[in-house]
Amino acid sequence: MDPKLTEVSQLFERFKAAITRKDYDTCTQQLSLLKVMLTGFRSLPPLFEETPNSVHELTLARDIFEHAVLLSVKIEDQDAFERDFFQLKPYYTDARNRLPESPNEYMILGLNLLRLLVQNRIAEFHTELELLTSTALENPCIKHAVELEQSFMEGAYNRVLSAKQNVPNETYGYFMDLLAKTVRDEIAGCSEKAYDYLSINDACQMLLFKSDQELLEYSKEEHPEWEVKNGSVFFQKAKDSAPCKEIPSLQLINQTLSYARELERIV
Amino acid sequence: MAATMVSSAGGLLAMLNETHPLLKLHALSNLNSCVDQFWPEISTSVPIIESLYEDEEFDQHQRQLAALLVSKVFYYLGELNDSLSYALGASSLFDVSEDSDYVHTLLAKAIDEYASIKSKAAESNNEAANVDPRLEAIVERMLDKCIMDGKYQQAMGIAIECRRLDKLEEAITRSDNIQGTLSYCINVSHSFVNRREYRSEVLRLLVKVYQKLPSPDYLSICQCLMFLDEPEGVVSILEKLLRSENKDDALLAFQVAFDLVENEHQAFLLNVRDHLPVPKSQPSEAVQPVSSDPANAQNEGSTAAEDVQMADGTSASVTTVPEADPSEVMYAERLTKIRGILSGETSIQLTLQFLYSHNKSDLLILKTIKQSVEMRNSVCHSATIYSNAIMHAGTTVDTFLRENLDWLSRATNWAKFSATAGLGVIHRGHLQQGRSLMAPYLPQGGAGGGGSPYSEGGALYALGLIHANHGEGIKQFLRDSLRSTNVEVIQHGACLGLGLAALGTADEDIYDDIKNVLYTDSAVAGEAAGISMGLLMVGTASEKASEMLTYAHETQHEKIIRGLALGIALTVYGREEEADTLIEQMTRDQDPILRYGGMYALALAYSGTANNKAIRQLLHFAVSDVSDDVRRTAVLALGFVLYSEPEQTPRIVSLLSESYNPHVRYGAALAVGISCAGTGLSEAISLLEPLTSDVVDFVRQGALIAMAMVMVQINEANDSRVGTFRRQLEKIILDKHEDTMSKMGAILASGILDAGGRNVTIKLLSKTKHDKITAVVGLAVFSQFWYWYPLIYFISLAFSPTALIGLNYDLKVPRFEFLSHAKPSLFEYPKPTTVPTATSAVKLPTAVLSTSAKAKARANKKEADQKEKAITEKTDTSTAGKGKSSSEKDGDSMQVDTPQEKKAEPEPSFEILINPARVVPAQEKFIKILEDSRYVPVKSAPSGFVLLRDLRPTEPEVLSLTDAPSSTQSPASGTTTGQQGSASAMAVDEEPQPPAPFEYST
Repeated sequence: MDPKLTEVSQLFERFKAAITRKDYDTCTQQLSLLKVMLTGFRSLPPLFEETPNSVHELTLARDIFEHAVLLSVKIEDQDAFERDFFQLKPYYTDARNRLPESPNEYMILGLNLLRLLVQNRIAEFHTELELLTSTALENPCIKHAVELEQSFMEGAYNRVLSAKQNVPNETYGYFMDLLAKTVRDEIAGCSEKAYDYLSINDACQMLLFKSDQELLEYSKEEHPEWEVKNGSVFFQKAKDSAPCKEIPSLQLINQTLSYARELERIV
Repeated sequence: MAATMVSSAGGLLAMLNETHPLLKLHALSNLNSCVDQFWPEISTSVPIIESLYEDEEFDQHQRQLAALLVSKVFYYLGELNDSLSYALGASSLFDVSEDSDYVHTLLAKAIDEYASIKSKAAESNNEAANVDPRLEAIVERMLDKCIMDGKYQQAMGIAIECRRLDKLEEAITRSDNIQGTLSYCINVSHSFVNRREYRSEVLRLLVKVYQKLPSPDYLSICQCLMFLDEPEGVVSILEKLLRSENKDDALLAFQVAFDLVENEHQAFLLNVRDHLPVPKSQPSEAVQPVSSDPANAQNEGSTAAEDVQMADGTSASVTTVPEADPSEVMYAERLTKIRGILSGETSIQLTLQFLYSHNKSDLLILKTIKQSVEMRNSVCHSATIYSNAIMHAGTTVDTFLRENLDWLSRATNWAKFSATAGLGVIHRGHLQQGRSLMAPYLPQGGAGGGGSPYSEGGALYALGLIHANHGEGIKQFLRDSLRSTNVEVIQHGACLGLGLAALGTADEDIYDDIKNVLYTDSAVAGEAAGISMGLLMVGTASEKASEMLTYAHETQHEKIIRGLALGIALTVYGREEEADTLIEQMTRDQDPILRYGGMYALALAYSGTANNKAIRQLLHFAVSDVSDDVRRTAVLALGFVLYSEPEQTPRIVSLLSESYNPHVRYGAALAVGISCAGTGLSEAISLLEPLTSDVVDFVRQGALIAMAMVMVQINEANDSRVGTFRRQLEKIILDKHEDTMSKMGAILASGILDAGGRNVTIKLLSKTKHDKITAVVGLAVFSQFWYWYPLIYFISLAFSPTALIGLNYDLKVPRFEFLSHAKPSLFEYPKPTTVPTATSAVKLPTAVLSTSAKAKARANKKEADQKEKAITEKTDTSTAGKGKSSSEKDGDSMQVDTPQEKKAEPEPSFEILINPARVVPAQEKFIKILEDSRYVPVKSAPSGFVLLRDLRPTEPEVLSLTDAPSSTQSPASGTTTGQQGSASAMAVDEEPQPPAPFEYST
């Protein structure tokens, strides 16, 4: 076996061990090292050169990135998740006919969908969805994410929140927690548009807060433009901030006049 | 291959966000290889890559790679400016030799950018423009690469564009064919370098390079020096050549002089001549045909300072230095010759002889016109006189006038003025005898003259036309005449004459004289004075222009304003950007006449440059000005700006020619006429054709004249539409119901079509692509005939003979044969017209004489060996004087057979021409020198004056063109060369005798 490959797999073993130990600092360092080592393999994307060990190398690289994705969930780093997922993706799409299917594929794809949902990137969510085959859509992990999105869109936020109880995989927990906040943001956004003001009690109920204190903190952090006085929350200020655009009447008049003048001049 | 394997660059883009620098590098290099395919995806991540580029912590290579990547993405996004700035950041990674669209586009962009920065810097006179050194480096890399690859022309083009004269010099000196590259460079600098000062810089460099060569091309150097207006350089070259022992060098010097003369830059030529040393000893008088002529000396009187000096020198040398050094003698002799050439007299003389001996004008056309024109219609009557003058311009043949004195006497007042002035056109270039020819009509000093002021004024104008641009000898006389009269008609003629004779000399004294006339505020004289001031100051951009402008604002007379407006325009001739302030001032004036002058100023300042800015401005005025005159002139002016690229004009004015405004249509017709003159360009003819049957009479007039200008010297074999056009002209002239305006146009058109005895064309560019200042000025003033018919004669300044005239060391015309490798019929003279059936009554008087005359004609024809030269017979018989008109007509009818007989035998594919020969512009490419010829030309030129090197100097020379002074005695025809060759003893400088003056029978 290629010495380089052996080296990588050994380091990978140590990395896996570190994950089980929950020694995340070591993990991150080792992962970075692993990635650098992977760049040395020419069989990996985007080159995909045919080498004798290519299948082995590809599989190993895929494993590494899958673990990297899971690790990022564990250390709750969304950016790292996105980065690693994109690096992993070519192994699922472009290397599909070179490698045996990975057992974790749908789980990770589902995670990614969930992440998009959490970050409220609905367009990308649907783009990803379109790339999946119909069999993939049947997979419980994917299905879970799709159903969540539907409820989210319908505004059935209670269903979204209750879905937390029946996650298909324990790694989903992290994102489900985050989803609650996304839902709250949505509600807050809608309330701004719908009401001029709300009483603090109503607002608490609406935004699923347990106490007034939580609401005040939230409004301070996320919506400093809200005004809390006389036991109510006023959204008025936020509305004013978007004045309607003025019609460029002078410019239009000028343009029309110049057209008329040019027409006069036509020889 | 690799790039096609992945479906997305997402993975690599994600890698850019990794913390480890090696990963980023890996991602960058991979992205760089697949950017062509995935730029849309990468474009969203450009900010990340940009931040990588700006990150000081990374090593240089990585940052450059990032810059290259961003540059490529911007390129695909079409953001070339951003792309370029990042490519500059990529410095060495940006490979100029890479063969990809990206690199090509960016290089072009970089060069454009660099060139525009440099030229902006030069325009604002800010030498220390801060150019990005990286940009400069890229352009230099490109230039070096071009030079390395042997693409010198590209390198030169870029270097000129970028104002990198150092690189230009390098490209030229390193090229394998320096002569070729240099001439290419001259061409480029004339056609593409728009700014005058910069062009001078380029040319100065070229001269420098030329002079470094082991065998410099003096012809080209002198052309450059002329453009630079450095007579001293030319003088030193000429002197060197003349001093040489080698006869060939002297020939070369003569050739240089002839080429300079062709560009008609009078002030410059005078300068050169004044800088040349005065010959110490006068050689035998036979050598210098011109200035030693006693008649001439008498004419010039004591005016020309040089001549006085020369005469002094002669007497002095004869007495004090009886025996001079032989080389000095030779030098002096050559010096005299070259002064003759530079004064233009030699070439004018030879041209005159050529035009006289080869005159093929068709009097029958004139006769038809004369008969069909209504007697009482004075416009058509004078038009016929104009037409005759143009048709015989420079030929000295005034038979038509002599034969029709009664008819001529109908011309009164101004018609008489122009009839007399017409003689000047006919005798154009007849420098020695011009004054004696015009003597009967000239104002006689004192009260006893008794002549009509109109004919006197006309005669002064005629003298100007005769001496146009070579007025050394006549200036003083014209000045005296101007000062001694206060009749405005005579002042008018004298002003015009003086302006013509002293064209472009910027003579202060003359200017003051004319100014005095102007300040009398007489409309007629003032108009001529305005034009004359312009002629005097052509191309000097002198301060006088503002003085003229001030007066134009003061005076009440439109005529004066118009004259001054044109005059001001003339002063800025060829000054390009320098004239911008004046143009601006004129085009913004309240007075439409001054705006109209502004159009001419634009036309003349940018004449022949095809400058985009000027074209844009003119087009703007053509559609937006409120005055029809200004609009018409603006369109017309396009013709002047574009004459160096005649193919462009029809395209540019095609829309204007369909304008609803007849003035704009008229302008479009003349613009095409001016810029495509003598080219016979098919597009131009197609554009003019519909205009010749326009609904408005003056549009038809303009179109007919323009068409004639385009078709001059094109015969039916070349373009069948010429025949159609000739028939159309005849139809219009014969049609009783045609409008006077278009009739006049048709009459003038027939004159222009057969101008100068069918041996001249209208040319605004010399063979070396210089503007011919006289020709351009001539056409500009000619286009004023809209307001003042006598100005029609100015068109004669634009005529240049289409001839190849070979000269030997003695500046004589030896017999010398050369080949025109094309069917003779393609370029032959148009067939003479037959007597039209409609006017059969005129033929009657031939009845009695016919038998004898026929026999005579037959004998003549046999003698002529049935060559096509038989046609000359007509000229001979016609010049024989009056009373022979019957035999002449018969001769005409006889000649009809000649071409028919020729048709029987198949036409040869070539033709042997004999020096001097008519070579029309289209024919030039077929001209070849016979291999075993005795003479070899000094430079290979298909037309114009060419000096010949005699390979067998010991053999006796046979001279041709020893023109027949008294045509009545010359035997019938075709023997010009053979017979007169034997009579080589006849001096070349013998002139046709001045014909006896005729008086108006008033």
